[in-house]
Amino acid sequence: MAAATAMPQGAAATRGAIRIEDVVKIYDPEGAAVMAVDHCSLDIAAGEICMIVGPSGCGKTTLLNAIAGFHEITSGRITLDGEVLCSTEKPRSTPGSDRVVVFQNGALFPWKSNLDNVAFGPVMQGKLSKTEAREKALSMMADAGLNGVEHNFPGEVSSGVRRRIEIVRALMNDPKVLLLDEPYRALDSLTKSVMHEALLEIYYRNKVTIFFITHDLEEAIFLGHKVAIMTSRPCKPKKILTVDIPHPRDYGVLTSKRFRELIEETNEAVHEEAVKAFQSGEKEG
Amino acid sequence: MPTPEKQPMSPEVMLGILKATMPFQVVSEALLRKIAAIGWKESYRAGQTLYEAGGPAEDLFIVVSGKIDHELQPGVNARRPMKTLVEGDVFGWAALLEKVPNRLAKAVCTEDALIIRINGEELLKVLGSDPDAGDVVMSRFATMITRDYTVPDLFAQLRGIHRKMHARDPQGMNVTLYRLTRWLKSPRPYLMFIGLSIFFGSWYLAVEVFKLPRFREMPGITTVVIEWLNPNPVFGLSLYSEEYYKHIAVSIWRVTQAFLLATALGVPLGLFLGWSKGVKDYVFPIFELLRPIPILAWVPIAIVMFVATESAVIFLTFLASFFATALNTMLGVESIDESYVRAANCLGASKSQVFFHVIVPGSLPFVFTGLQISVGVSWFSLVAAEMVSGQYGLGYVINTSYTMIRYPTIIIGMITLGAVGYVTSAMVRVAGDYMMQWRVRELALGSR
Repeated sequence: MAAATAMPQGAAATRGAIRIEDVVKIYDPEGAAVMAVDHCSLDIAAGEICMIVGPSGCGKTTLLNAIAGFHEITSGRITLDGEVLCSTEKPRSTPGSDRVVVFQNGALFPWKSNLDNVAFGPVMQGKLSKTEAREKALSMMADAGLNGVEHNFPGEVSSGVRRRIEIVRALMNDPKVLLLDEPYRALDSLTKSVMHEALLEIYYRNKVTIFFITHDLEEAIFLGHKVAIMTSRPCKPKKILTVDIPHPRDYGVLTSKRFRELIEETNEAVHEEAVKAFQSGEKEG
Repeated sequence: MPTPEKQPMSPEVMLGILKATMPFQVVSEALLRKIAAIGWKESYRAGQTLYEAGGPAEDLFIVVSGKIDHELQPGVNARRPMKTLVEGDVFGWAALLEKVPNRLAKAVCTEDALIIRINGEELLKVLGSDPDAGDVVMSRFATMITRDYTVPDLFAQLRGIHRKMHARDPQGMNVTLYRLTRWLKSPRPYLMFIGLSIFFGSWYLAVEVFKLPRFREMPGITTVVIEWLNPNPVFGLSLYSEEYYKHIAVSIWRVTQAFLLATALGVPLGLFLGWSKGVKDYVFPIFELLRPIPILAWVPIAIVMFVATESAVIFLTFLASFFATALNTMLGVESIDESYVRAANCLGASKSQVFFHVIVPGSLPFVFTGLQISVGVSWFSLVAAEMVSGQYGLGYVINTSYTMIRYPTIIIGMITLGAVGYVTSAMVRVAGDYMMQWRVRELALGSR
């Protein structure tokens, strides 16, 4: 596989370490305080793929929003490479291109061509001129096997291709962290499997920290170095699993004995939380 | 590499070979003959390279005999890049892909081989001559590329093939022309014609044949048409009178001024109402208070406020348009998915960049809906205003013809209003399509 040669094993990334310390988030809709995140602590090493698994609506996205700067936290602290993003004193972090989000339903701008979507970040930040950004975008899209769709609009390509373009758009900014919010939720399982391999290939080439939210345990164990299984609302890690299957991985892993063992080890914990979430009748979110 | 000579091949033989290939299997005899006419035969010896990855991709190949090794380059992401091609296999399909001018693979003969070669551009032209069959061929190419060559995600490029085959990448006015020809091929214009005939037929029957009592004073359609086409009109207004065009021009000019003013003020106001909570809290209640007041209720105030009748008429025409435009623009901003704004923030866009790159283009579909409504209501209020005051204009024509008992002229004025109103509204639609190519294309694919 091309990926195996691209990335020397064990070369550690030096940036993108996230530290979530004792974070609490209380929503206060109409006076009824709802605890979404309960004293949650989690360490993500630089260059690690950390998968956050939990039932729908458990508060995983709240954590992501706190890191990205879309929402405030109530108390606690989140740091990126030692720098404080948000804390009790400064409840909301400032969104920035060092932490780019790939959204659940996709957020490519439908009114811009795929190429201009990818070129968007550096142009907005004034880092590159429009022409330079387009050139870089062209070569990054070609690297990701996305040649041929540059001048189409997002609405004209398949959802799988759209997701890949969105990831390339994020990588254009050389981010420290990629925040993925169930990006493959709406895809069929066949496309999903292609997307997983594509994501890994991109990861092996640009070693960037990945914070990946999902409710699919197999996806989590297949992709992640670390899998954090979260409790149902309020959300905090119930079990943190280190996946000892070596990278680079490909789809052969899915049928390996170790993979099956890991699934068995964690399945019960995930199921328990899913039942709890179901019984409490939380709205999906 | 030495290029082998083009050798002729009997069309019958070529036809048989084409018919046995995956993409051309289902094509009609007639179209196959056209394809066979542009193909030629070449022979290669074992070890010869047909093409290298990165070379220009112009022709499509079909194996007649022999064996060829086909290796896709890594960038294509094929699950299994290596493939041995034998009789009946089709390769070199990069020649058909849009925006891929270069070979994606290397092809080497491992045995002496005979191949059929067809120029990609010419093939697309032939397929374009029968787009329905061409679509089938292209989708079979798609299946072949994903299944036999294990290339994932060519979906988007194949869409490109479809468009290339239709020999147009619709842009601007071309989209409109394309739609027009499609419209003419659909049953819709003919149903429309039948509908209109029934309408005018019933008018004719009700007034002139059955002479129904309700329509006693109503001018018949023949009276109206005769008057309209009369060089010396009985009541002074027909296609031949200068006055007629003056009325039309005056009305159009008033609507244009009012519409432009309403757009220039309504769109920015709507954008700010949707964008800033503060602005909305200040302005929206006043807006909602004034909006339901009918235009006719504004007439006395308008006449008192503006000394010149012309300004009063334009003010009245402007009002309703303005509310429709501003309200729809505001809804447009509010309809924008929060994710787009967040994504732009993540990517480092400043507040003003978000406004110009997300809010403005994102609200355009609603803005144009608003403008369509706006142009409609501007005609509506224009006539109301012209009936009250003014010297010229179609509303004035209708009103004075009533007081002077020139009934056919009323109908002429009404029909003219309808036609002119329709044209202006169509112009707004065309402008919208032109500015929102992304939406036109998205919708076109959706309806496929």
